[in-house]
Amino acid sequence: MRTLRFSIVAALTVAVTLSACSSGGSGEGDRSISVGVTDPTTLVPARQSVAFDFSAAVWSPLTFVRADGKIDYIQAESIESDDSVTWTVTLRDGWTFHDGTPVNAQSYIDSWNAAAYGPNAFENAGQLANIVGFDDLNPEKGKPSTTEMSGLQLVDDLTFKVELKDADSQFPLQVSQAQTAMFPMPESAMKDFDAYTKHPVGNGPFEMDGDYTENQPFTVTANNDYAGDDPTVDSITFKPYTDLSTAYTDVRAGNLDVASVPPNRLPQSEADFGDSLYTFEAPGISFLGLPLWDERYKDVKVRQAISMAIDRDSINDVIYGGQFVPADAFTPSIEPGTPDGLCGDYCKYDPKSAKKLLDEAGGFDGAMEIYYPGGGGDDDLYNAIANNLRQSLGIDVTARPSADWAEFLDNRTAEKVDGPFFSRWGALYPSQQATLRPLFVENGGCANCVPWYTDEVTAAIRKADKDDDGTGEAYADVQDLLLEDFPAPPLFFETYSYVTSDKIADLPTSPVGNPQLTKVKLTD
Amino acid sequence: MIRYASRRILELAIVFVGVTFLIYLMVFSLPGDPIAALGGNRPLPDNVVAQLRDQYNLNDPIWLQYLRYIGGLFTGDLGTTFDGASVSSRMAARWPVTITLALTAWGIEIIIGIGLGLIAGLRPGGAVDRTILTATIIATSIPVFVLGVAAQLLFGLQLGWFPVAGVSDGWPTAYLLPAVVIAVFGLAAVSRLMRGSVVDTMRSDFVRTLVAKGMPNSSIVGLHVLRNSVAPVLTFLAIDLGFLLGGTVVIEGIFNLPGIGQLLFDGIRTHEGPTVVGVGTALIVIFLVISVVVDLINSALDPRIRHD
Repeated sequence: MRTLRFSIVAALTVAVTLSACSSGGSGEGDRSISVGVTDPTTLVPARQSVAFDFSAAVWSPLTFVRADGKIDYIQAESIESDDSVTWTVTLRDGWTFHDGTPVNAQSYIDSWNAAAYGPNAFENAGQLANIVGFDDLNPEKGKPSTTEMSGLQLVDDLTFKVELKDADSQFPLQVSQAQTAMFPMPESAMKDFDAYTKHPVGNGPFEMDGDYTENQPFTVTANNDYAGDDPTVDSITFKPYTDLSTAYTDVRAGNLDVASVPPNRLPQSEADFGDSLYTFEAPGISFLGLPLWDERYKDVKVRQAISMAIDRDSINDVIYGGQFVPADAFTPSIEPGTPDGLCGDYCKYDPKSAKKLLDEAGGFDGAMEIYYPGGGGDDDLYNAIANNLRQSLGIDVTARPSADWAEFLDNRTAEKVDGPFFSRWGALYPSQQATLRPLFVENGGCANCVPWYTDEVTAAIRKADKDDDGTGEAYADVQDLLLEDFPAPPLFFETYSYVTSDKIADLPTSPVGNPQLTKVKLTD
Repeated sequence: MIRYASRRILELAIVFVGVTFLIYLMVFSLPGDPIAALGGNRPLPDNVVAQLRDQYNLNDPIWLQYLRYIGGLFTGDLGTTFDGASVSSRMAARWPVTITLALTAWGIEIIIGIGLGLIAGLRPGGAVDRTILTATIIATSIPVFVLGVAAQLLFGLQLGWFPVAGVSDGWPTAYLLPAVVIAVFGLAAVSRLMRGSVVDTMRSDFVRTLVAKGMPNSSIVGLHVLRNSVAPVLTFLAIDLGFLLGGTVVIEGIFNLPGIGQLLFDGIRTHEGPTVVGVGTALIVIFLVISVVVDLINSALDPRIRHD
């Protein structure tokens, strides 16, 4: 248990470390950087939701998807399957955790079992849901009768087999850099997760320096025994910010090296930072969710009319500083095989045709209220859409925020919304599957993001999961089905923007939209 | 005096129980399931939600949850946050920041506020008096976040005199700028109160007597006027300290100070009953204690006030 005295000691330690860093700042040998983050509160990879950059530094994934879409095998030497149902994972020999223990097949089996074990209630457990035996660890009622998934089998020290419930060609992508529930943990972690969350031990290029204390900066340093490629920096300090606008200002002042750009700073970020603004294409997509449980939205022409009434280009320029991409398909274009331009005229701003379509459908009865989560900085977006719809379609449209995220989620899940609503999904690996499954398969991950689940689409997704050869073209059928029924207008392909101080010459990325901190190029 | 003190302590106990229950009830009745919302955009599996709801006893009726909480209080357990940390350790980590910030702002209010009030009050209606009046009115009418962000951009970013954010530079550098921004509001009130009080005192009979005796002006002001004028200001300052300790959510956010205000805000945002009740109760106790202390000080300063 943390005490006051402990916090003060920790604060002092951090202060001393930081001043040591900054005093070395002018010297040539300083190869440390600082990154602004949201306070993670937990660092266990199977639990974290805002510590992706930290996780990518402290762990090495089995596979890493490069910017060009190719898969690098990092901790895995190979991942192979004949039928896409049973996968054989072979690990590289000689890799160790930071505590010196070896990374072997048993570590993966134990870590995945722990991550999937229901009573642990690990937030990212869903990433393992397709493994045979997952349901045994997560019974609807009561304690599970076992602690192991029957789908995981040890073959030898460095090899294990994974049996999936359904054939899934995307498995090698599901164990890539942002699927943190798939990261290995050493034996010591399983004994005491409370200790592990403060001082996580991974298999990556950086190791945790000291313990994590809530809302205090924490540092990782390069691990000399790392068996993979050496990182380009010696240490990374993660500084928690409650308001990311402040982190942005701190980068401008040169007190911080990397920060993500909050939505309200996007329009000015190019003027403020010029070349030090990095806009990464990301596997995120936003929709205007429609309440398909409401009769008034049953006609596909109404849904198409709403889509054509939205001026995506102007909204992008004004609200996102032109950094997003107006969507023209049902998955982000960074996901391989996405049929760019599929949406065609239905995603182009054309108020006259929109009005005509709506009239053909018999008009719209009553007022329309767009519902979105309050406090997330989305007010401008939904007010702009409301204005678009009002002017183009002549409907009385208003935008109403909820009190907070919890209230919004409750109402959407319970289908207690009677107007268009907030809907977005950020995928964690670059495959159309990672967007289509959560949105269009019931219980796929995002309940009622698009409340439209049909047997036809589900079957088409399952078929593509089985057949895809890595190009993503197998998912084209799914997208055609979606276009036909047009359940929700796609709005934007998201980008994640970052700004850097003068210390950083280049910030590389990967197809999950995050910066690759291990490969940062420093200014000489 | 003893009767008075025991009455106040009894009041404190009643207020304590009432307030903790009220806050608990309010957090409980916020719409939406806090556990389901934990995963944000990426909803949690149903069985994880069920497991966590069970773990935090959220399926029990409100009175049972409350009784369990109060029971915990007597053993020094303030409850657990949704990420498994104890509320008391969270608060222990946050108080030093808030107390440092509050005391710094308070010090600025006292020194500058009383100073300005004294100068203005000695020459009421003069150029200095009017300038101070105008300046304080303008300062108080600017919203605190505008003032905060403007000060941050000017002194932190453009001039670089102070750090933009964070507490890593320690006291006083890291705390001065946010403290000044907060102090501006109390400052105006303190200086107006002080000015009025000084004007009154300067007109009183004993000052005229001192002047007639031929006492030098500096001694009259320094020894007598100041002491006699300061009493009404003290009450305000004490109450204001309570407000400052309540944390200023906006300023703590802008300057990234991990203080008690941010903790409370996060607690409300995530519907974390134990955190909100813990911080809320601590703040109420601070207010109650301060108001008792103020009463006692007032009666000591002014023998006409009696509490029996």
